[in-house]
Amino acid sequence: MAKMMYREAVVSTIAEEMERDDSVVVLGEDVVGGMGTAGGPEAIGGIWSTSTGLYGKFGADRVIDTPISESAIVGAAAGLALSGKRPVAELMFADFIGVCLDQIWNQIAKFRYMFGGKSRCPAVIRMAYGGGFNAAAQHSQSPHQILTGIPGLKVVMPSTPADVKGLLRQAIRDDDPVIFLEHKALYAVSGEVPDDPEFIIPFGHARLSRAGQDVTIVSSGLLLGFCETVADKLAEEGIGCDVIDLRTTSPLDEEVILDSVEVTGRIVVVDEAPPRCGLAADINALVAAKAFASLKAPPQAVTPPHTPIPFARELENAYLPSAERIEAAVRKVLDWR
Amino acid sequence: MQLSRDALLRAYRQMKIIREFEERLHEEIQTGEIAGFTHLYCGQEAVAVGVCEHLDVEDKIISTHRGHGHCLAKGCDVNDMMKEIWGSRDGLCKGKGGSMHIADVDVGMLGANGIVGAGAPIAVGAALSQKLDGKGKVAITFSGDGACNQGTTFEAMNLAVVTNAPCIFVFENNHYSEHTGVEYAVGTQQDIASRAEAFGMKVWRGDGTDFFAVHDTMREVLDHVRSGNGPAAVEFDTERFFGHFEGDPQRYRAKGELERLREERDCIKRFRESVTGAKLLTDEDLDKVDSETLAAIDAAVTAARAAARPTSDDVLEDVYISY
Amino acid sequence: MARIRPFCMPKWGIEMTEGTLAEWMVSEGDAFSKGQTLCLIETDKITNEVEAEYDAVVRRILVEQGGDAQPVGTLLAVFADGEASDSDIDAFVEGFTPAETGVAAKSEKQAAAPPKVTEVARAAGGAGPAKIETNRPISPEALKLAEREGVDLSNIEGSGRNGRITYQDVDQALRPAAKPLLRGTAVLPSEDGDVFATPLARRIAAIHGIDLSRVNGTGARGRISKADVLALVVVDDPASLGARPADFVAGDNAPAVEPFDRIRKVVARRLTKAKQDIPHFYLRVTARADALLELRKTANLVLGCKASVNDYIVRASAVALARHPDVNIQVHGEEIHRFPHADISIAVASPKGLVTPVVRQADRMRIDQIAAETRRLIDKASAGRLSMEDMDGGTFSVSNLGMFGVEQFDAIINPPQGAILAVGAAIRQPAEDKDGSVVFESRISLTLSVDHRAIDGAAGAQFMATLKQLIEEPEGLFT
Repeated sequence: MAKMMYREAVVSTIAEEMERDDSVVVLGEDVVGGMGTAGGPEAIGGIWSTSTGLYGKFGADRVIDTPISESAIVGAAAGLALSGKRPVAELMFADFIGVCLDQIWNQIAKFRYMFGGKSRCPAVIRMAYGGGFNAAAQHSQSPHQILTGIPGLKVVMPSTPADVKGLLRQAIRDDDPVIFLEHKALYAVSGEVPDDPEFIIPFGHARLSRAGQDVTIVSSGLLLGFCETVADKLAEEGIGCDVIDLRTTSPLDEEVILDSVEVTGRIVVVDEAPPRCGLAADINALVAAKAFASLKAPPQAVTPPHTPIPFARELENAYLPSAERIEAAVRKVLDWR
Repeated sequence: MQLSRDALLRAYRQMKIIREFEERLHEEIQTGEIAGFTHLYCGQEAVAVGVCEHLDVEDKIISTHRGHGHCLAKGCDVNDMMKEIWGSRDGLCKGKGGSMHIADVDVGMLGANGIVGAGAPIAVGAALSQKLDGKGKVAITFSGDGACNQGTTFEAMNLAVVTNAPCIFVFENNHYSEHTGVEYAVGTQQDIASRAEAFGMKVWRGDGTDFFAVHDTMREVLDHVRSGNGPAAVEFDTERFFGHFEGDPQRYRAKGELERLREERDCIKRFRESVTGAKLLTDEDLDKVDSETLAAIDAAVTAARAAARPTSDDVLEDVYISY
Repeated sequence: MARIRPFCMPKWGIEMTEGTLAEWMVSEGDAFSKGQTLCLIETDKITNEVEAEYDAVVRRILVEQGGDAQPVGTLLAVFADGEASDSDIDAFVEGFTPAETGVAAKSEKQAAAPPKVTEVARAAGGAGPAKIETNRPISPEALKLAEREGVDLSNIEGSGRNGRITYQDVDQALRPAAKPLLRGTAVLPSEDGDVFATPLARRIAAIHGIDLSRVNGTGARGRISKADVLALVVVDDPASLGARPADFVAGDNAPAVEPFDRIRKVVARRLTKAKQDIPHFYLRVTARADALLELRKTANLVLGCKASVNDYIVRASAVALARHPDVNIQVHGEEIHRFPHADISIAVASPKGLVTPVVRQADRMRIDQIAAETRRLIDKASAGRLSMEDMDGGTFSVSNLGMFGVEQFDAIINPPQGAILAVGAAIRQPAEDKDGSVVFESRISLTLSVDHRAIDGAAGAQFMATLKQLIEEPEGLFT
């Protein structure tokens, strides 16, 4: 085990996979940083420091700094992947899928199906997502609800450095296109990471981070930590929470969710995306449809409201799900009459 | 450069296969037997064949919604294509793609594409892959006077220049983006190549209804790109003999326009006149190809009509490699 | 304008015809507020505190405490705000007509038609549905429910869009506060990089000592799921099972003189009458419980419940009653009332004394549902909050003293029911095995007290044979 930050887990995993497999290629805006400036290449090294040192180690052919052209970045990743490479493309902010959604939605997600199973598109599209930095409506979003709904994509939302390591390695080695969502607020979080160079976490395998028999809490990414805090607090009152970290929203680990709800009879889904047609609604519908007989209270969702993300601190704090709101939802299902 | 008799016969056969493939589809579609949208390439054959005759299976192309010609020219199997258009599970894409999404990555054909302008960035990626492999291979994106107005095309051209990717942007100006004239829709005085030039790459222009002009131009373009000089663009002036899609009433055409185009701007007619005039091939040679081609298309249609249909279970196949 | 309101003898449950005003907690002229206890009212089954439903002043008490039983609907007192004059109150008392709520009054008029639930609820309030005028957004069904039940909307927060009040909001407001049974945290099964298994599969494997590395996963993506592990759960050494009875300990028997409280008076009166009037006879069997105790572990795990042995016996009794309707009866005078389903009264020792809340239609419930319902009733009993609805009726009783180490006992029938089952502790005893060797097995003693006026010996014996078989071969409890 080694202690490292979430962002270090990202860059070290990419480096290890590039070392292992020549077909792995990195591309994106400022993944080198400083190209064409007096400072020279790597003067910046990626604004999230998730590609630091790759250019020096692997060179310009495999670490491709691109202009601000998201469609071209994802499109190029598609072309590289169709040609047998394993591109790891970076969108600086997940919000920018708006610019290149065609390449994600109509191209990489559909090639294999449209082409009758005769192609592979092993592209990884990494993107920084999530709120908490007062970055306002176009730089704070969690677009996984849009991406999870697209057949052909796999969608990953790691919550710990160890999960980054195991899931990103799986993403790069996976033969299908993978959206890899990294929460901005987690980049500096440290944790133990296995040293095993073959440590892999298979997709669709949720993690139980707290065990309890009274309420099931489902979440992913940054908010998982809030759920753990709430579960630990309630445990002191004798309230036991199963806290499930989805890890991947596509594929979704239905089995672990239903297993848990069949024991607890109560579920709270915590998600950072707005409520309509989202992950929380999806999971609660799943539970209502497949665990109806076990439910003791209506499934609850803790999400932001149906609004864009505001800028001011007070507004953003009111917008994002908090530990207080999660606790209130858990108490609501417990106090259901 | 003089082409051999075999090369000439092969080029003619390729163009003729595309022509008869499209003419036959135009007929068959009237019966309602073929589902969905079909966009025919008829009239532009000299471009697809003039470009692809220079390529091998390791060179990559990416096409458009009007893609049958590029697919056939790049080596997709005519029978499998016909079955795909008929929606058979034995089609090139198992009946999952249809006319607009024919692809065969094994022959370097990365797909026809239903989204106008989507192919250019993908071609840049394929070109970057060629560059990494260092074997002098290229990636070519076909687009038209419609896709040249999409931002993706601009992004792709800039990225190709910035990364020195061996990517060729072939613009087939057939004067209509769907139902809108190039006079209206392309702001640079109907000139597409100048746009590419502005992005910093070398460009060529040629008559797309003259196979030899296309073929000779492409030789220069490919020499330039294969030598590591980065991307290039070429604009071919060409003609579309049918509507945007099958069923298009084409009320935007001038009276007698189609008849005039078939008379004056038919690349196959011009090829025949050129090679027989120069005594390179005889009418008998070409007539023989014509009858062989017709027989091949007939056989393809018969096979497609009889081919196995997909089942409801097939819906779930091929979304993922593993899930 | 002054609002004058009647306070009448309430109707708690369908069978209540009269009640005794045991004690007033307020006097004439007292102002009281919502939730304050007004009086104690005693029926032949229960003594209940009556809480104020609104703020007002006691203007007139018409029935003094400690008197005779009064029919349901009798005007007990008049409440009003301060503005009403004494003459207004006099006029109100004179003009008051009790609602026809008594069973007798009803049966005279329309004996055939069973009272609708809504009518009962309305009658209990002593007045018809009051129209609610509100400008708050509310669904039509929610408004109907609120009017029917006289719900004060100002205390309800609408959960719908823009604060719209839904049916569920009103329904929740009508229910008592939740008392969730908490089962607490569990051991977090650690993820093992080499074995791909769900958390629940790991938990079950740990309980049963199953080595997951030798389990073949058939779940999603080849993962070991709950079903894979359960398929491997084998019957352990029965000696390792829990639920061993504590040794019998005689309790402190020093006398302490204490007058009967109201509940004990009721219990004493009813049981004396039952024992004197009903010709009891007793049927005793012993059932082997090893299979049940073993199955219970896995079944509880799978169903996610903590069903007690008694819950399983309630379930077994209900299934047996469904097969032997001759035992699932009430005796009313010279009538036998047979019931399609088994409503099982469970004897619970509460701080106020013995109470018998009813698990309704237990023959239709799964074991986890019985466990949850029993838990709910026991919790309510412990808090002294059982309502009339919780205790009303019942077609059969189960009394279990096994947890105290009682091996066997005879129970007194709970009228008007026809029989009661007394359950003893599971005792490990030696027995002769098929090959003549001695084995130990857990046995439970079951004694059925039967009303011979309505149930014959053979009918009772057949019921007991079925019950014994269900306990010894408990798979039948899950069908």
